[in-house]
Amino acid sequence: MKKALALIGILALVGAASAQTFVWPQKWTVAKPQEAKRGGTLRAAVISDYRTFNPFLTAEASNVPVLISGDRGLVTRDPTTGDWIPYMAESWTISPNKLEITFKIRKGMKWSDGRPITADDWITTWRIHTDKAVGSNSYDSFFIDGKPIVLKKLDDYTIRFIYPKTDAEAFAVASFEPWPAHVFGPVYQREGAEGIKKMWTLSEKPENIVSGGPWLIESYRPGERLVLKRNPAFGEWNKDEAGNPLPYLDRYEIKIVKDTNAQLAEFLAGNIDFMAPSTVDHISQIRQAIQQGRLDATIKVNASPVASSQFMVFNWNKASDPFKQSLFRSDKFRRAMSHIVNRQAVIDIVYGGLGTPMYTSVYPVLTQWINPKVPKYEYNPQQAAKLLAELGFTKKDKEGYLVDAKGRRIEFNLATNAGNAQREQIAKLIVDEAKKVGVKVNFQAIDFNTLVGQLLSSGPDRPFDAIIIGLSGGGLDWPFGSNVVPCKGNLHMWNKSGQCLDPRETQLDALYSRGRTELDFKKRVEIGYRMQEIEAELLPVIYIAGPNYHPAWNNRLGGEHPDAIISSIWGQREVELTFIKK
Amino acid sequence: MTAYILRRILYLIPTFFGATFLAFLIIQMAPGDYLTQLELDPKVTPETIARLRAQFGLDRPIYEQYLLWMNNLLHLNLGYSFAFQAPVLEVIWPRVVNSMVIVIPSTLLLYLVAIPIGVYGAVRQYSLGDRILSFLAYVGLSVPSFFLALIAIYILLQIKFKTGTLPFPVSGMTSTGFEQLPPLRQLLDIAWHAVVPILVATANDIAGLSRLMRGQMLEVLGQDYIRTARAKGLAERVVLYKHAFRNAVIPFVATLGGLLPSLISGAGFVEVVMAWPGITPFFLDAIANQDLYVIAGFLTVSLVLLMIGNLISDLLLAWVDPRIRYE
Repeated sequence: MKKALALIGILALVGAASAQTFVWPQKWTVAKPQEAKRGGTLRAAVISDYRTFNPFLTAEASNVPVLISGDRGLVTRDPTTGDWIPYMAESWTISPNKLEITFKIRKGMKWSDGRPITADDWITTWRIHTDKAVGSNSYDSFFIDGKPIVLKKLDDYTIRFIYPKTDAEAFAVASFEPWPAHVFGPVYQREGAEGIKKMWTLSEKPENIVSGGPWLIESYRPGERLVLKRNPAFGEWNKDEAGNPLPYLDRYEIKIVKDTNAQLAEFLAGNIDFMAPSTVDHISQIRQAIQQGRLDATIKVNASPVASSQFMVFNWNKASDPFKQSLFRSDKFRRAMSHIVNRQAVIDIVYGGLGTPMYTSVYPVLTQWINPKVPKYEYNPQQAAKLLAELGFTKKDKEGYLVDAKGRRIEFNLATNAGNAQREQIAKLIVDEAKKVGVKVNFQAIDFNTLVGQLLSSGPDRPFDAIIIGLSGGGLDWPFGSNVVPCKGNLHMWNKSGQCLDPRETQLDALYSRGRTELDFKKRVEIGYRMQEIEAELLPVIYIAGPNYHPAWNNRLGGEHPDAIISSIWGQREVELTFIKK
Repeated sequence: MTAYILRRILYLIPTFFGATFLAFLIIQMAPGDYLTQLELDPKVTPETIARLRAQFGLDRPIYEQYLLWMNNLLHLNLGYSFAFQAPVLEVIWPRVVNSMVIVIPSTLLLYLVAIPIGVYGAVRQYSLGDRILSFLAYVGLSVPSFFLALIAIYILLQIKFKTGTLPFPVSGMTSTGFEQLPPLRQLLDIAWHAVVPILVATANDIAGLSRLMRGQMLEVLGQDYIRTARAKGLAERVVLYKHAFRNAVIPFVATLGGLLPSLISGAGFVEVVMAWPGITPFFLDAIANQDLYVIAGFLTVSLVLLMIGNLISDLLLAWVDPRIRYE
């Protein structure tokens, strides 16, 4: 009887808690809740130092505000499905015209200083992000085609997002992390943007940094180490399936180690708990250490491709050289160039066999989005020669390069950013293969900023022939770049005349907008498939190949992702669910 | 003498303006600016970049930027870091202090070791000891310091694999849990971390300095007055230390002033490889990011110290060398 009562008691407790609690799903980790141990310190290393604690000024990919907030907002993504699920929101409703989403905010969440987290926090955070004078990096994410997304507080625990048009990325916009209105609001009212800019610099005392996420700052030593400690307020509403508060860890320590060789040394010495080695040499050193029993660790080689692209782009705007311009605008020529890119050789030589070929703008890691049936213009020098012959390049000159009937030789300059050894190697492979079919490619490595300047210049006559470069970033909801696909886009690198030159560019432009406003995932994927088919035919840029992601961790850690969701997108683990085994 | 010092200080003023303007110009002449990296981010619009450029004042003509910055300098404000969104001095100073932990002991060690080696090499020229030291010196001269640091890390790791413990840390300046340690233990912890970087930083410079000392000493030993000293029957020890050595170190006195800027300029690539939170990795980042005022501000401080250092050198030289007079 007593037992039954106790059981009822527990059930009631769980029931009461679930209204306010976000339960971290079991399927996000390989460990059962009863295996998890509390306490201990997770030790990691990053390449570059932190620059600010201020969430409105931070600009780099790995930054302190994202770390302490856990990078989650009203909604978050379930890595097992990729779907948006309610997180700081309890639920949402979408208006019939799909332009308004109303979120019910979870009650009982608190900032680390004990104040409740309410709708005001989102409103203030949004206000400051969208103040031009602050210069927040998130500014652009609150606009669709230049029109603002508006947030409205209905009551303390209800907030409405009003979109200027239907948007596939609506939830991504709503997923931004809130910051305490009671800290930033008064300063913003009194001193405006200038006041905000002076807040939470690196010299701010750690105890003054208020967090709504899993971590608080314990200490920071410039250029050396950031130590985070568990935020107890977070554990009150974040639990594992057994009802234990999260995170399990007491501390999360991040060393700043600028040199990847030194990072590797620290990992091999057992001083840091995880890393993602990027070179074949580093991978083999870790494997050797594991095999020889010097290091008790796990490495998942080729877990997934990385979430970035790498390509060769030809310049369509060369008014000063009509011969080259017509060549670069010809899809036959670009197809021939795709046929001389030996993607397998790039993977074998540049990435030591640990890479993935690419054919469209969708990163290979986004498997849901990849159209498996796009035409691929693989390495095939004979086919390349045939296509060039069709363009009239049938004879060779004294030096063995192809010329047309008027004696004009196919020759172009190829540039990439100096110092990127992998891209330089790719360029040299292309130069060699091009020479075999009789195309003269002059390779030059130039300074990154100069390269970007050339690439993004606009007008009818731009200063480069061809460039090898890559892009990263972009969403999972609609993986096409808002700056890249539209013909007026700033990153529409092949043609910056400001207008579409090829009818297929116009088509892509239209499909891009259709996809961005399509809310049905399946339909959006179909549009994405169609876009990839057009891309593969048009070859606005020629995709090459990229490296893979190889996460490694010390076996003192538990709670990593199941193999199926270890990827460059979801990473190797949720830090909140990570624990120290021994 | 006072008149000389005053005159020298007056000369420094045009030098200062010339040098800072040149530095500013050269930094600005590099292609692109701090915001260029943002331009390849598919999420950032060109309007946003243009707005930030205006906010940072990067859209104004160079001379205007220079004058604004000069005006700040005269108010003892080195400028503002774009990357850190904070005053330059505030972000630079902690790194400089960290670097000094390596630079000061390593400089002392350098003079303590290199000068005796140089003297020994000159006195026992072509002896076995001299040959071994010369050989090591050439090795030291030709191995870049970052590589020496990597070798040190490699050796430490091998010791760890053989014995299970690290004799010295492979990177960083402090251990985990540093904040919880009592002050004395904190000091020891930093010292423990500094041993390998100090040795690596010193090893490279020993080679150069000891060769210089050896050359100086040999030159002096070949002078007539040394022969005279020996001829009048002075003990070899007195000849060497009272006559030869004192004259041979005069050029080194002149380099002492040059140590002043090197105190703040960091220990070089050792800091990068061994993750020492010094000024070198920080400054390299600033250059890579084109964080204009961090570069310009740091160069200015170095410049001022260099000018003061040169003045001190000249004064010291007059003091130790009776042949020099500034009247």
